[in-house]
Amino acid sequence: MGLIGVFVVRMRLSAIGYSMSHGAFAGAALGVATATNPLATGLLFASATAFLIGPIADKARLHADTITSIVFPLNMALAFVFLTLAPEIGLSSQVANVLWGSIISMTNTDLVYLTTLFAATIAIIYFIWKELFAIMFNRKLAEADGINTKPFIYLIILLSGVVVTFSLKLVGGLLIYALLFNPASTALQFLENMRAIVIASPLIGMATTVSGLLVSLALDLPVGSCIVIVSTIVFAIALLLSPKRRRKEVQ
Amino acid sequence: MREDAIIKLEDVSTVYEGERRPAIKGVNLTLKKNELVYVVGPNASGKTTLLETINGLLPPFKGKVSVFGLDVQNHGRRVRCKIGYVPQDFMVKPGEPYTAIDVVLMGLYGQIGFLHQPEEKDQKNALEAMKLLGVEELVNRPMGKLSGGQQQKVMLARALAKNPRILLLDEPFSNLDPDSRGQIPSLITKLHEEKDLTTLIVTHDIHHMIDNCNRVIVVTNGKITFDGTPKNAFPLVENHPHTTSLEKTHH
Repeated sequence: MGLIGVFVVRMRLSAIGYSMSHGAFAGAALGVATATNPLATGLLFASATAFLIGPIADKARLHADTITSIVFPLNMALAFVFLTLAPEIGLSSQVANVLWGSIISMTNTDLVYLTTLFAATIAIIYFIWKELFAIMFNRKLAEADGINTKPFIYLIILLSGVVVTFSLKLVGGLLIYALLFNPASTALQFLENMRAIVIASPLIGMATTVSGLLVSLALDLPVGSCIVIVSTIVFAIALLLSPKRRRKEVQ
Repeated sequence: MREDAIIKLEDVSTVYEGERRPAIKGVNLTLKKNELVYVVGPNASGKTTLLETINGLLPPFKGKVSVFGLDVQNHGRRVRCKIGYVPQDFMVKPGEPYTAIDVVLMGLYGQIGFLHQPEEKDQKNALEAMKLLGVEELVNRPMGKLSGGQQQKVMLARALAKNPRILLLDEPFSNLDPDSRGQIPSLITKLHEEKDLTTLIVTHDIHHMIDNCNRVIVVTNGKITFDGTPKNAFPLVENHPHTTSLEKTHH
């Protein structure tokens, strides 16, 4: 999440990130409602959302802001409808997992999925790093230098959806995007080298997740919320200590 | 002389995204190899749109644009790999994670192609271009920490590193300090001659006329209202050095 978050933040796809998170969330809710695998329905919804805000919005000449503003509440509405339709009404454990996440309920299979996904994401980013780097700098200039930017942006949108879906169990659909944005935004406060940021961001993500888990165990509070709060505190500290900000004040 | 045409616009009209009024209307223009042309005109008259229509960043809704004899609509990326483009007022903010050499090298990514990595010769081209512009000592400096004039030179180096056949420069003198303002026009003249380029320079300020410019185009309200030699253009602007006065002269 921390890795893909760097690209989402730098390509200014934050609104798209929210939409993807809630797409995965709505899909997982459908999975719970129909007693199918929430992972499969989550992926289905995330891919459909990616397709809607990527190629279809481009074809219809809709601005990214417009399409995300429509898709975002739609996915939330669908998620709540699906959760109401869930067999055991109320905050049953499965519904609660989708909403708030439950890192403790993660199985070995989940871990294998996440590890494979992490490796695949690294491989994809390695191969298209050059194009991503140029697009993050300036999309129009990348296009002017002969790079076809659209497929790379669609790929990042899709990848963020897939990563979010697989990570839903960590903190749940309502808080998941914090893990997409916070580590990347924290790394960007300190580092001025894009390669270093790409390495640091997932490490910060891992460290805050583990710390959040420990805090939750110590204080007996919900895991997902603790992870998000810890990662936000880390970002706030980074903001205060950021050398970039200090220089600005001196100027 | 038709085969000499490097850039050819036939009855071209382009609309900016989200706007209804055409930014350029029914433009006919032929540029021969090795021409150095100035495009002047008041602000928002369609000068930038003209450049971005030539390199295919803005698709025309009417007419045909050919560069090197290729239709830009169908061969955009191929064409753009051979065009050095410096956009207007391009400034990288402090703290952005890109060094000067990153920015120059990025200009070559389209040429290098998908799944290929930059080689030693690409690094060499990038360094040589920086040397030509006298910014070689800035190689590893973060782009955002450079002055406006230094950034402008790095952007020019980026355009030159790809060994272009056409240079499209949008207000290339706007951010330069007085010293560079003297150097850069003569440097562009030299490069234009040595590298056998076809060069289009957009400016709103006729003060920066390059000596060996052999053609001036005046754009007013999206139309070409004058196309001729600097000698004939000068009487129009001589008494009114700032081209905003051109509009009055033509009405």
